[in-house]
Amino acid sequence: MITDPCILNDVTRCIGCEECVAACKKINGLPAEDPPPRVGHSKDGLSATRWTSIFRRPGGVNVRKQCRHCLEPACVSVCPVGALQKTPEGPVIYDKSVCMGCRYCMMACPYGIPHYEWSSVNPSIRKCILCHEKLKSGEIDRPACVTACPKEATLFGSREAMLAEARRRIEAQPGKYLPHIWGEHEFGGTSVLYISNVDLSFLAWEDPEAFENEPLPERTWNALRKVPYEFLGMGAFMTAAWWIIDRRMRLEREGTVPPPSSEEKGGTDE
Amino acid sequence: MTRRVQITKGILWFITGLAAAVTIVRFTRGLGATTVLSDTTPWGLWVGFDVMGGVALAAGGFVIGAIAHVFRRERYHHAVRPAILTALLGYAAVAVGLLYDLGLPWNIWHPIVFWNPRSPLFEVAWCVMLYLTVLFLEFLPVFLERTRFKGLYRTLLKAQLPLIILGISISTLHQSSLGTLLLIMPFRLHPLWYTPHLPELFFVSAICLGLVMVIFESSVTAWLYERRPHTAMLSGLARFAAGAIAFYLAFRFFDLWHRGNLHLAFENTFEARLFWVEIAMSALIPLVLFLVPRVRRSHTGVFVAAALGVMGFLLNRIDASGLAQVWATGTDYFPAWTEFAVSFGIVSFFALIYLFIQEHFPVEKEIVDEEEKWRQRQLFVLPRFDRLSQVWLGDRTFASRRVYSLLFVVALVLGLTLTPWQPLVEASPVQRARGGEVLRVGFPLGTVQFPHAEHVERIGKDRCGVCHHLHRPGDVGTPCTECHADLYLPTRIFDHVAHVRVLDGNRSCARCHPAEGPREAATAAKCSACHEKDMMAANEVVTRFERTDAPGYRESAHALCIACHRKEAENPDVGKPDLFRCATCHRGVEPHGEAVLEASLATAECTPHR
Repeated sequence: MITDPCILNDVTRCIGCEECVAACKKINGLPAEDPPPRVGHSKDGLSATRWTSIFRRPGGVNVRKQCRHCLEPACVSVCPVGALQKTPEGPVIYDKSVCMGCRYCMMACPYGIPHYEWSSVNPSIRKCILCHEKLKSGEIDRPACVTACPKEATLFGSREAMLAEARRRIEAQPGKYLPHIWGEHEFGGTSVLYISNVDLSFLAWEDPEAFENEPLPERTWNALRKVPYEFLGMGAFMTAAWWIIDRRMRLEREGTVPPPSSEEKGGTDE
Repeated sequence: MTRRVQITKGILWFITGLAAAVTIVRFTRGLGATTVLSDTTPWGLWVGFDVMGGVALAAGGFVIGAIAHVFRRERYHHAVRPAILTALLGYAAVAVGLLYDLGLPWNIWHPIVFWNPRSPLFEVAWCVMLYLTVLFLEFLPVFLERTRFKGLYRTLLKAQLPLIILGISISTLHQSSLGTLLLIMPFRLHPLWYTPHLPELFFVSAICLGLVMVIFESSVTAWLYERRPHTAMLSGLARFAAGAIAFYLAFRFFDLWHRGNLHLAFENTFEARLFWVEIAMSALIPLVLFLVPRVRRSHTGVFVAAALGVMGFLLNRIDASGLAQVWATGTDYFPAWTEFAVSFGIVSFFALIYLFIQEHFPVEKEIVDEEEKWRQRQLFVLPRFDRLSQVWLGDRTFASRRVYSLLFVVALVLGLTLTPWQPLVEASPVQRARGGEVLRVGFPLGTVQFPHAEHVERIGKDRCGVCHHLHRPGDVGTPCTECHADLYLPTRIFDHVAHVRVLDGNRSCARCHPAEGPREAATAAKCSACHEKDMMAANEVVTRFERTDAPGYRESAHALCIACHRKEAENPDVGKPDLFRCATCHRGVEPHGEAVLEASLATAECTPHR
């Protein structure tokens, strides 16, 4: 298996035939028929039984959605038990046996990718895992969705090669593409890249260009790494405060120090 | 026990009963049936109120501990035990609430073994576990005071101060970490709430909420047990609360101004209005009320201000974890009644435990003494003969216990009846297919273009029944949407009421139901028994009409079309091996329509995926 696997989606080439969706469902053993959508389901077509979907946009533009396999994934950083892991090879995978179902990953994902089995009593988080197990064991050489694509709208290779290919395509036909590779830098970079003739900022909850080169996990880690100091600092402060006040009160009782005026004592209302 | 206590307990038992009913559904049917949470709103009331709010509500424990034991304000010693009891029960309630909210509650212990120190939730989980232990040790002396375990009692009393300081440190961490929790979602949380200083803000607001909660709670217990509240203590706490709230207000507005987001509060948006309601309830009104000395000395005044503060700061937690995210997700989320029932039910249940401990253990000695006096009095009350029911009524304790049980059971049954046992799904009514030669069917409109004329030609003019397998009585070629009325959900197509009316009322039962045994759908005669001629079509698809409900439109269309398409695809005479592929029918919207089919036909490999 290549290290740093990456998918490049060329939006201009996608015709929306959904062969990738069918292939994904087949290789992951998902039911062909999705259960009825819940109230408030995601409008991009993703669900617990549909890990990749064709998001149909105005003007006949078809955008394939799937897990972006971020280089610094927010979902992995927030999972309190580490049920979601970024593998050394790159894909972000999920371990049901560890998960406790807090759904923090769903809240933290800027693309709204993890989905939940709401009607199950023993629910899992479901999302694309980039065919990790089968790629690793060498059973397949490309993810099922890439193999299924009849128009080469979705390509597979190392991230470097995919970035180079994206740049090559944009340079070769500058009129056809917008000069931007979605996923190159946003949220610290993703392993699923897009080149397109339309703006793709709708793929994230908020315009990802506001988060260029800014991995989300840093935001929580900046606060969390202070935790040990906060703990010790607050403990030390409280002990010191108690010691000073206690000593002062003891001395007062012994008459060494004159009793403080009522003002200092915090005053009374009665 | 006063009349007030009895009525209050009755109400609390009723709400607990409702929650018990929802509990049964929650743990047998899952989150889908008991909440309106969805993939766009994975966190709802149970996180916002029970976890975020619950932890902050219980902050009184460490705040009062600091004031009374570390800063040695002896006047507040009265408040320490009730505040610690509230904190202990509050955190226990949070843990119970989590059991409902977690999808896999039996894995709740996993943070002990599986570590991810980079997750704020991991930090919160550990702190809550540790703090629950500390609180238990802090409160244990109350249980031990009147027992034989004097040695342990004295040791715990000696350890009181270190335990309280440890509790303060742990609380500092997880109160602020609940704010850190939201730092990862700048894209969801509205900028009026999102700030890099969320941890600090959460810590300060937890102190505010802890203080107003202690005031609120001692006012309520005083009212319940008809005692005089500790006026001096309450007004002192009100002063502290005013200080904390003023600091919170200044911090919050300075932060908004500093980040240049203050103007957002003056725009005419849902978030701006929400912000002002929250600020007014949590900070502005309580602050003004607490600052007026006359209000501070009046029990009602302090109670009103504290109650507003409690609701306001709870709203803050609910906003931050839900309402202020609607802006980004665009999903309307309003909790189902089952969610409210569980949230309030957990609070009610723990309030009952709180009252029980107050009445039986020396938390506030006056209450135990009064309860004891009341019990003594009851010994001399003779049983009363009720003329109406002709029975001897026992003493009030047992009478009220019977009332509580009754309320609980009634609520339980009511809850079980009202709870929807099926997961909530979106109804998607199907529009009737339109067009002449080429019908446009499916959702979104135009996804599938169905050449009706071509199919008639292929299958044969006299074989409509191959597809139109069932008609309305007296009709032919009834459109699919008449029965398969929803894209996903089954439709009930048997109208029992109409049949009873047409067949001459109750005398006609025997025409469909057997004379002996239960009269239910399973044993009734099949529709084809009477409707062989006017509804059934001779075809290979549906030979006997046995179902009283029609499956969803998509399921039935797929079953009907794909079965036939697959068979024809294998037929060499037709010569269309790709006939069963999705793209044959799902050609997409213009302009790619033809290209999709071509692409599909171009890929020669014929691996059926359905």
